[in-house]
Amino acid sequence: MGDIVVLVKPSLNPDMTRSKPDGTVDLDAIPLKLDDIDANALEAAKELKNTLGGKIIALLLLPWGPIQKRTRELKMVTQEALARGADEAYIVSDEKLLPGDPIITATVLSNAIKKYAPNASLVLVAEASIDQTTGQIAGRVAAKLGLPFISYARKITINGNKIVAERDVEDHIEVMEASLPAVVSVTQEINEPRPPTLLQIRRAGKKPQKTLTAADVEPIPERKKEPVEYKILTVSRKQVIIEGDTLEEIAEKLIEALEKEGVL
Amino acid sequence: MVDALIVASGVQEVKESLSAVSSLGDVEVLFYGKDADRADEVAKLGVKVYVLKSQHPGALFNAVKKLYDEKQPKVIVGYGTKNNRDALSRLAGTYDLPMATDVIGVEFKDDHIIYKRGFLSERAIATEKIPYPAIILINAKVFEPVQREGSGNIEEISVEEDSVKLLEIKPKQLSGINLEDAEIIVGVGRGFKKKEDLELAFKLAELLGGQVGASRPIAADYKWLPEDAWIGISGKRVAPKLYIAVGISGAPQHMAGVNNSKIIVAINKDKSAPIFKLADYGVVADLYQFLPVLIKKLEEKKGK
Repeated sequence: MGDIVVLVKPSLNPDMTRSKPDGTVDLDAIPLKLDDIDANALEAAKELKNTLGGKIIALLLLPWGPIQKRTRELKMVTQEALARGADEAYIVSDEKLLPGDPIITATVLSNAIKKYAPNASLVLVAEASIDQTTGQIAGRVAAKLGLPFISYARKITINGNKIVAERDVEDHIEVMEASLPAVVSVTQEINEPRPPTLLQIRRAGKKPQKTLTAADVEPIPERKKEPVEYKILTVSRKQVIIEGDTLEEIAEKLIEALEKEGVL
Repeated sequence: MVDALIVASGVQEVKESLSAVSSLGDVEVLFYGKDADRADEVAKLGVKVYVLKSQHPGALFNAVKKLYDEKQPKVIVGYGTKNNRDALSRLAGTYDLPMATDVIGVEFKDDHIIYKRGFLSERAIATEKIPYPAIILINAKVFEPVQREGSGNIEEISVEEDSVKLLEIKPKQLSGINLEDAEIIVGVGRGFKKKEDLELAFKLAELLGGQVGASRPIAADYKWLPEDAWIGISGKRVAPKLYIAVGISGAPQHMAGVNNSKIIVAINKDKSAPIFKLADYGVVADLYQFLPVLIKKLEEKKGK
């Protein structure tokens, strides 16, 4: 019998990237969303829940400010995590933890797991997030909790007190087995997350959720990462559209252009 | 004490990592994985090499931790391969070390490091600052590989695995194509309606002496092509002379994998597809009509 903790990140939505006139990223203007692969992690938790017999606990940490502005978005991400199968949610939100630094994030999440999910037998984490894509939280949390770690799982089965996972390495698959409790990072290939139904969305509102501050999850290590600049990527390609009356003419012009470039 | 410890599973990776830390002094290498028997090639770069013959991720973590504890390097560097990320994120968690992944530029200052990396699924570039000691995982093909001759010692390192058992290694279904080395790549995307139609792309690639790669839907979702044909943030990053994107819309997650191409050509029937702003030459046409014509014209040229 054990609970499943799913780490859920309210990430900046890259599809809504906004810039300032000077070409830097307007971080405060980009809305948050439930991170893509977190939906896979929640789906995986749903599938494993019956086998493990416990509940699913979503654990969120707000990595981007300003806090007042993010309250509504954070609430929506929490609701979505609950609609996607979490039974309860803990949300850590504190000015002191902003902006997110993987050292602080991993420590806070590990402290929260120890304190608020002492019966966790499995911690599921997305392999990476869509905004920072640092891909290191799962490994850090495993080290901090001193638990066995399997990364890049694209298939998970539970066998009594053991978890067997297919670990997706670049050119092969490793079948790994760990004792529970364990920390496992999952890839997008693990499943096809089902969008929550209307009923699930409605029920989500009634599920328990608790907001925590930095004081609830101490001790917090010192910040080591400092942002210097976030600049919108500008690509300078020629952007020439080849036109012509017939496809033959276009094909000829294209070949000619590529020969001139010396790439054919 | 050493200045930098390179953690790598390939010779090219060592050469590019050496380039990234060229402003630092003493460098040693932990060389692991299934190519570990090529350690002599690494030693010829004039660096001390520790060889770990295991592929087990827990063994790698224990080896990295052992060397870190003994050598106290200021910087650990290597590619962001899955094994490197696995082992080094655990090391980072063990000692609260800052760790930067997908790094495309780095400066080692006296008391801090400044690096650049993709941000917001590569719609932006982040510049960030961290103190020593730190872990820097670089993107492949960004740093010019060092060319040098020397001789270094090779020492085998033996460590325990951790409690996680490696039960079995299964091959992936792979094409065996080495896209990273291809000079011309034809990229296929969702514009293709069925698997058989990819034949058009293969024909074009063959005529040009190139290879076929794919966007995420084709390789990872529909599985029309093996996974090693997948180009993008989570797939491969390529840098051919010529990249011809056929039926690809130009999502940043895909384009991040081809941004280092010299010339990008886009063929797409949707004239508002973002790919046209990210390409050097664009053809607004239905690929089913245009590719046969392009193939015919190239065949005619070849025939002459």
